Amino acid sequence: MAQKVGWMWVSVGLLCISLLSITLSAYYYAEYMRYVGLCNEAQNELRKYDRYIFVDILVDYGNGTKDWSNRTLVVRGADLLNATRIVSEVEYTRGVYGAFVTRINGVGGAPNTYWLWYVWNSTSSSWDAGMVASDAYILNEGDVVAWIYTKF
Amino acid sequence: MNVSAKDISFVGVMTALCIASNYALIGVPNVKFMDLFVFISGYLAGSLSGMAVGFLTWLVYGTLNPYGFNLPTLAATSIGETIYGFAGGLTAKWRLIPPSNPPIAMTVRAYWETNLKLGILGFLLTFTYDLFTNVVTGVTFGIPLVLCIVQGVPYTAAHEVSNFFFFLAGGKVLINAIRKAVWKGGES
Repeated sequence: MAQKVGWMWVSVGLLCISLLSITLSAYYYAEYMRYVGLCNEAQNELRKYDRYIFVDILVDYGNGTKDWSNRTLVVRGADLLNATRIVSEVEYTRGVYGAFVTRINGVGGAPNTYWLWYVWNSTSSSWDAGMVASDAYILNEGDVVAWIYTKF
Repeated sequence: MNVSAKDISFVGVMTALCIASNYALIGVPNVKFMDLFVFISGYLAGSLSGMAVGFLTWLVYGTLNPYGFNLPTLAATSIGETIYGFAGGLTAKWRLIPPSNPPIAMTVRAYWETNLKLGILGFLLTFTYDLFTNVVTGVTFGIPLVLCIVQGVPYTAAHEVSNFFFFLAGGKVLINAIRKAVWKGGES
């Protein structure tokens, strides 16, 4: 009998934990849905003005670490350098051909290793190397661009 | 029904204790010692006395409250609070918590098992109370019930978890201490 009563209390204790977990989960789910709704609402609001585009930016540090900033909102007509500066800390110098990125998020400066940028070619399913300086490349809606720290 | 002067005095003193502790903790929403005191009142003096303590406490605290006065809310909280007193009386009557006086008569394990049971009871009673008051608030202000319950979760969780710990840490100790003070060493 005493054992039965003991198990009853254990069950009631577990019920308490379940109730707390369920209510907290429901709350956080509701909050998540609310913020998703607010985010969509804000994005739709921005689209109305037709002044912004979405691009995906990858920063590949060359050591296996890859940071994706998907659906980054940038002003239509923005160049790659400015878009990268929205999602990362960028250091660069200006040369004859345009901006030359030296560090992204503090990574850079290693001998014979440089930050190169690429744009995803969906037709050939491959990365095309950037042919101009990053501040000369104007982004298009849906562009997927990558910064890759490359050793030569 | 036989109500003695001692019962009335006990209800008065416990109500005063609840009100004073509520005002002392006014800055901490939903964390109050009141629920434990009301439960203990019911446990020591019977369900009716416990319910009276809960009802009277809210009658004062809900009327003179810096957060404002609202009649349906006051009715809900006053009625809702009585469940602690009612449950306290039933707990004593059904001997859900083994009686022990002096507390040294219990083993350490039995003592903490009793505390844990009190904590679980505190949690469940608070869950019921919060559900009831949230439903009344939702109906009163025309808020959809699910929304009202879900949006109130941070407050109800704080209330339930804090009461779990208050009942766990203070339940048995206060029952023994108040019983000793009021009934001269445990004669009840």
